[in-house]
Amino acid sequence: MGEIIRKPRKPLQVNPIKLSQPMGAALAFLGVNQCMPLMHGALGCASFTKVFLTRHFCEPIAIQTTAVTDVTAILDGGDYNIAESVKNITTKVTPQLIGLHTTGLTETKGDDIRGVASRIDVPLVYVNTPDFEGGLESGWALAVKAMIRQLTAPASQVQPRRLTLLPHVSLQPIEVEKLKEFVALFGFEAWALPDLSTSLDGYLGEKQGSLSSGGIEVADIRSLAQSQIVVSIGESMRGCAEALREKNPAMRHHHFPHLQGLAATDALVAMLLEESGLEQPPASVVRWRKRLQDALLDTHFALGQTRFLVAGEPDQLAGVCQALGEAGGRVRVAIATVESPLLEQVVAENILVGDLEDAEHLVDDYDLMICNFHGEALARRHHKGLMTRGFPNWEQIGNQLKNDLLYEGSCYFLFEAANAAEEMRRHRKD
Amino acid sequence: MAKKPKISELLDERACAHSATKKSACNTQTPGATTGGCAFEGAQIALFPFADAAHLVHGPITCLGASWETRATPTSHTGRDLTQMGFTTAVTTNDVVFGGEDKLREAIDYLMEHYAPAAIFVYATCVTALIGDDIDAVCRQAQAKYGIPMVPVHAPGFVGSKNLGSRLGGEAALASLVGTLEPETTTPFDINLIGEYNVTGDMWQYTPLLEELGIRVLATLSGDGRIPAIRSAHRAKLNVIVCAKSLISLTRKMQEQFGIPFISLSFYGKRDTSSGLLAIAEALGDTELLARTRRLIAREEAALDEKLRPYRALFQGKKAILNTGGNKSWSIASALQDLGIEVVATSVRKATEADREKAREYLGEKGILMTNPGAEQARIIDQTRADLLLAGGRSLYTAIKKRIAFIDVNQEKKKSYGGYQGLLNLAEDVKNALENPVFRIVATRAPWEK
Repeated sequence: MGEIIRKPRKPLQVNPIKLSQPMGAALAFLGVNQCMPLMHGALGCASFTKVFLTRHFCEPIAIQTTAVTDVTAILDGGDYNIAESVKNITTKVTPQLIGLHTTGLTETKGDDIRGVASRIDVPLVYVNTPDFEGGLESGWALAVKAMIRQLTAPASQVQPRRLTLLPHVSLQPIEVEKLKEFVALFGFEAWALPDLSTSLDGYLGEKQGSLSSGGIEVADIRSLAQSQIVVSIGESMRGCAEALREKNPAMRHHHFPHLQGLAATDALVAMLLEESGLEQPPASVVRWRKRLQDALLDTHFALGQTRFLVAGEPDQLAGVCQALGEAGGRVRVAIATVESPLLEQVVAENILVGDLEDAEHLVDDYDLMICNFHGEALARRHHKGLMTRGFPNWEQIGNQLKNDLLYEGSCYFLFEAANAAEEMRRHRKD
Repeated sequence: MAKKPKISELLDERACAHSATKKSACNTQTPGATTGGCAFEGAQIALFPFADAAHLVHGPITCLGASWETRATPTSHTGRDLTQMGFTTAVTTNDVVFGGEDKLREAIDYLMEHYAPAAIFVYATCVTALIGDDIDAVCRQAQAKYGIPMVPVHAPGFVGSKNLGSRLGGEAALASLVGTLEPETTTPFDINLIGEYNVTGDMWQYTPLLEELGIRVLATLSGDGRIPAIRSAHRAKLNVIVCAKSLISLTRKMQEQFGIPFISLSFYGKRDTSSGLLAIAEALGDTELLARTRRLIAREEAALDEKLRPYRALFQGKKAILNTGGNKSWSIASALQDLGIEVVATSVRKATEADREKAREYLGEKGILMTNPGAEQARIIDQTRADLLLAGGRSLYTAIKKRIAFIDVNQEKKKSYGGYQGLLNLAEDVKNALENPVFRIVATRAPWEK
């Protein structure tokens, strides 16, 4: 564990990697089938979010705005804009759910969205997500918690072998799918909330983009309290699991900070063996563990001589740094978008909450960057290697199918990192 | 110091074509049924390409966090390209409660110390406008302290659309920059390019031709722009609005204040590029220049025709449907026609009155102007037996279903289709799309589908 550097705060962010709460909430609602994320703010908040996610996933993104103007910002307490929006949305489409979430603008003027929501008779979940607090991770988690609190029916009995997964925001669609399949191998029937694996996984189909297409069904969110087990992945999701257990105290909760690398996957498998009563995991799991052992050895030479900078959301940082560290990769600098209690556990020499200007100041400390695409300019300027991870990645396609999780994904992740490190060294020699 | 712009005036722009018939077409917003960017984004688009200035966004993280490094507007500036950097005060709850002016002041100090920009643009956003931070005062004090222009930009998102925001951006430049510096030299053929943002280097497709003609680009707003240049823009002989209606208020005001006439044109496709060059020469009113321009156009068109020859046989008899927004509804149509492709339909859903008229003019009486392309285009492909659909990614599925070729029009965000050279890029992309078997292969049925 490294030292967390807390510098006197800069009065501004320069080349930020931090992203906003309303964006995280919108993305969470996109993991619910036939949902319309409704951002309560000026039209730009939703427009920026739509473009941002469209470019990351190469998919049409459903989102609407309450289109607060300078006039309604002063005169309306949210009633008019929200009610009008719901009316206008439902005349065109029939969403299974409207995901109402606020922005800095509407939080500053202090709209009572709970009160407004109580007067609307369309299925709707409301959540307060000002963008002057928290970040992408907390916005996603707040939306999930709101869905559980407002939709899930309380239960007192559990149905055996039903399992709920609560993935953090940085898990890409294929990773959620792999996780569902993994627990299914142990005999569990799994639901994920949110479930991007069937909505933003990039498949050919008729998607008009007016509502989310794919994701968990609203009916399934309502019955989540019947799960025997809830598994939260990422510190940001711990509170969501607790909210679900409040709906049914008979449910058991298992928490994992992340699922990257050998140790983390071992911990998951140990839990699944115990909960399932199986002696041995299925053959494919055993095989993949051996492949990961081999991958760790094959990559250790390249990674062991490489100094890394890793930047991203706290829950993703934890996983990436752990996976690199297992093969001897030295994470010299880890930069988190926001504060998190998890930072204490991140395996890195120096940990800070900051931006890419901070990364530039420490440029002599690392050779290879793992960062979103905004790191590209810095990498080019200073001849660093770059492996793109996190939101946004607008320069590459196929983000939704990048798998870094469990035994299998960890292999791919280590190979990619080792290849990037070697390529960087070849490039430097030239 | 900056007089705050009057939004109602900007919305009622008398130089706009629609103003005679419609009121406030520029600012309709329906809750729950609105797409498109906000005023802040419009201001960003209009001003961010000044690469020697710092662009400081005074607001919460969404405004800049989601939007920096989104537009490929290259610059020839040899210093650090500040356009591609993100600066924001990222206001927090504390700032919202106690005010964000101190933080803004410190942020300006920080930028001056670390980046020494030629000017700083300070953008108000919804939250900081609502809490009443006085960015005018902060800018005034900072300008006195540092002696460089500090430009308050009053385009918080909630005042309206992207288009309005671009106007407000133009107003900010006019109020704080234009006319504050004299150019080192002037020539009889000095022009300003207004609304040309040099996206993917579009501007560089034709500026060498202007240079060859002896026409000097004195200043731009704001493609490959520089602060000293825009400050001396009031000495230009002509304002040229490139493909952007939004800055017409600015050019009208510059005509009133500095007596600079303006013309509006586009550099998409062969015909538009040629007529654009000619229009500039005509407006500058020099017979010698006009003759030179005609000779240059003849030479360039002949060279282009030669290079396009291999494509013509392939494009013979091909029909295309275009589904895109704004001025692209006719400018890309015009470029396609220059390649010998028949444009049978174009979308005018998001186009202005003037854009619609242009589209009608280019497509002719038989051409279909789609007002609801999402619902219409599949049927029109059948009706017209079109070979090619140019649209945004959302329409890809329609092309696959109809088994025709597809081009993502947003490609133009990555490579230039502007000027004579850009037409070759477009020709190559169309050729590649028509020859690509992928649309046929993807449309084959799975073995389990009967």
